[in-house]
Amino acid sequence: MHSPRFLLATSGSICLAVALALAPASARADETCQSPYLPKITGQEEFVYVWTLGVEGLGDGEDKLVTIDARPGSKTYGKVVHTASVGGRFEAHHGGFNDDRSQLWLGGLDTSEIFVFDVRTDPGRPRLVKTIRDFTRASGGVVGPHGIYALPGRLLISGLSNDRDHGGRTALVEYSNEGKHIATHWNPTSDKPFGAARGEVADGYGYDVRVLPRKNVMLSSSFTGWSNYMMDFGKMLQDPEAMKRFGQTVVLWNLHTRQPREVFQVPGAPLEIRWALGPTHDYAFTAAALTSKLWLVHVDRDEKWHATAVADIGDPEQIPLPVDISISADDRLLWVTTFMDGKARAFDISDPFHPRQTYEKEIGRQLNMVSQSWDGARVYFTSSLLANWDKKGDDNEQFLKAYAWNGKELDQAFAVDFNAEKLGRPHLMRFGSASLYR
Amino acid sequence: MIVRPARSFLWVAPAIAAMAGIAAGQAAAAEIGAAGAGAAGADPLRDERAVTRIVAGALGLPAMAQPPGGPPAAGLVALGRRLFFDRRLSPSGTMSCGMCHIPEQGFTSQELATPVGSHGRSLRRNAPTLLNVAWVTPLFHDGRAASLEGQALSPLLAPDEMANPSADALVARLAADPDMRQAFVESGSEIAIDAVVNALAAWQRTLVAGGSRFDQWRFAGDENALTDEERHGFALFTGAANCAACHTVAPDHALFTDLMFHDTGIGVRADLAAASGLQVPVEIAPGRTVLVDRALVESVAEPRASDLGRFEVTGDPADRHRYRTPSLRNVALTAPYMHDGSLATLGEVVRFYASGGVPHAGLDPRIRPLDLAESDVLALVAFLESLTSPDVAALVRDARSVPVGNAGP
Repeated sequence: MHSPRFLLATSGSICLAVALALAPASARADETCQSPYLPKITGQEEFVYVWTLGVEGLGDGEDKLVTIDARPGSKTYGKVVHTASVGGRFEAHHGGFNDDRSQLWLGGLDTSEIFVFDVRTDPGRPRLVKTIRDFTRASGGVVGPHGIYALPGRLLISGLSNDRDHGGRTALVEYSNEGKHIATHWNPTSDKPFGAARGEVADGYGYDVRVLPRKNVMLSSSFTGWSNYMMDFGKMLQDPEAMKRFGQTVVLWNLHTRQPREVFQVPGAPLEIRWALGPTHDYAFTAAALTSKLWLVHVDRDEKWHATAVADIGDPEQIPLPVDISISADDRLLWVTTFMDGKARAFDISDPFHPRQTYEKEIGRQLNMVSQSWDGARVYFTSSLLANWDKKGDDNEQFLKAYAWNGKELDQAFAVDFNAEKLGRPHLMRFGSASLYR
Repeated sequence: MIVRPARSFLWVAPAIAAMAGIAAGQAAAAEIGAAGAGAAGADPLRDERAVTRIVAGALGLPAMAQPPGGPPAAGLVALGRRLFFDRRLSPSGTMSCGMCHIPEQGFTSQELATPVGSHGRSLRRNAPTLLNVAWVTPLFHDGRAASLEGQALSPLLAPDEMANPSADALVARLAADPDMRQAFVESGSEIAIDAVVNALAAWQRTLVAGGSRFDQWRFAGDENALTDEERHGFALFTGAANCAACHTVAPDHALFTDLMFHDTGIGVRADLAAASGLQVPVEIAPGRTVLVDRALVESVAEPRASDLGRFEVTGDPADRHRYRTPSLRNVALTAPYMHDGSLATLGEVVRFYASGGVPHAGLDPRIRPLDLAESDVLALVAFLESLTSPDVAALVRDARSVPVGNAGP
């Protein structure tokens, strides 16, 4: 049973026109959790861009940007309407828009290329306009461009590794919108803290980076280096030395000066960082993947910041592996996806210090990214984590699934089988719309 | 004066430090973020000094067998060092020799039991240290290469390592880079695969690391160079524990290896564990280990590749699960241990042997249960830690005197 919002999909373009006409002019349907410097889509997202890993022997085998039509009523609603392959397999993973949202920058974690797509000229047909191939050399040795995040006039790129040992020590890298390297900020370590206050561990690892401009702060999280994220997942779980090399920290930075201020102890590989969206909600969530724990980073009345573990996700003893989180625009609901059991969980975070799970649903045999619309009514999921971490055999489902969320149930609207369509392993999702550029 | 190192800590003896122009005691920690050409400072004599190491050797090591034609030219050493750290040696631009043989990690990888190759492919065996590799023959854990020149091509072409489709393809890629062409010109070599492997071999031969406190005690007559505990450890090593049966010590030098192949049971142990169906301990955070069902681990694992050791080279059933005895010089810097990196510490290794290895039909008869007190285990470990060369820090600086090679204009 489809929700009314998604029923529009099967009712033709006239219904779409009526729906749009009835929509309030101020409706915001963009994905939550984006850079505050991005323009927002008003109305329904029209396209979902999916950065997809190529699979040897499947289709053209290349990494590609897949565009899926998300316009209810469109004849191609829920279908792949465009693919743009990038010439090889580079471990497609994450990326992000630049500040005017004309470009989508996408990183390859293996070989450290960055692919820049024009999404303004024809939002339904993104076009590769630039490939940055010297990221590691230009940045002074950073490997694995991961999170790509819009700042005014530039992009902030969190690395995952380095070219000296393929371990987890890495940096934040700034590029201009024109594709020129601006600066590299190495993450603080115990032997090189760069002035940051630190606890027992300062590992220098990286993963996500997100800013809260009104407090002049940004947060970075910590995953693992090339050797681990490129390794067969099962091999790694059985290698005690490799398992010692996961991030244990979240770093608080001065946004304007890019100086690290404090290194928080957050063991178990804290991954995605999500700032609350409310104008007085000065806190962020992150989820530690290996320990399956939600953490809250918050500021007290004395402007001192803290990182506090606030909830378990599933049974940590079973390593459900939370890999993505997404906050609703009203800061009341947090979606958490767990890779190993393929579940989406909704947490009530009205009291951010006491998150409470209120719902769960198995989306597939494996599950990775979650993106929700600004109004919370549509939730999209993809399946792939990393080329060599995904499940093997029949469990290796590869999909994008779109759901309607009515506050109580997830109701599937459409699904795209990326194996059957010979596309590869779908990972990051970003929303697009022609309305941005009119 | 003998500077007593902390366990597993790199240190620089004053004489070596003066020669290298660096301050005594200066840490050789990885200078990540300070990478780049000349990070260690311009040193016009670096290459000549490297060649001198080949000729002069070091206290405790026998004279090095020289390759045909004698010691290499300094230019060839310089080219080899540069190639060793150039990630463009692999078509993906990610794998150089130095990504698995990491200078700051004992010229091996301390962070992995077994390495990860191009595109994340799994390798079966622990990356061996390159310290004193000039004395290792045959090379590889299974001894399939007779010389460093013969060895070098193997990882360059192996699909699970650097994955070059052919030697010609590698040479063509190197020749396309103007800086690389210049480097070959400066070395006096034509760009060809022979020059590549000769240069890599030439630089690796310069990684001479002897003169440990043990050597000072054993071969230079410094009675105070070892502690009582360390001397007790050596007595056990050559006596009751019989380690020296394979990790040999000669009257005038010590390689700590017979360069022969033995079955310790580590090979069959891996097969037994895989078939056991037991839960797998996984450390999800420091000090926090959970037991995970093997089925869950296998749901995200490629099938484990078998490893039959020396048998894969000779085809002789007697060689099944046999691997070459590694040297123990600088062993405190080269964890994890054994051919599959399955033991994390020297203490675990000593206890493994003291318990008699893994009993099975092919077990080397020299491995048998030992009656060692805990103080004996600690003494053996202390002795092993006395085998660290004071020259390693200078070798790390030599290695990092070239920038890591990366793709770019």
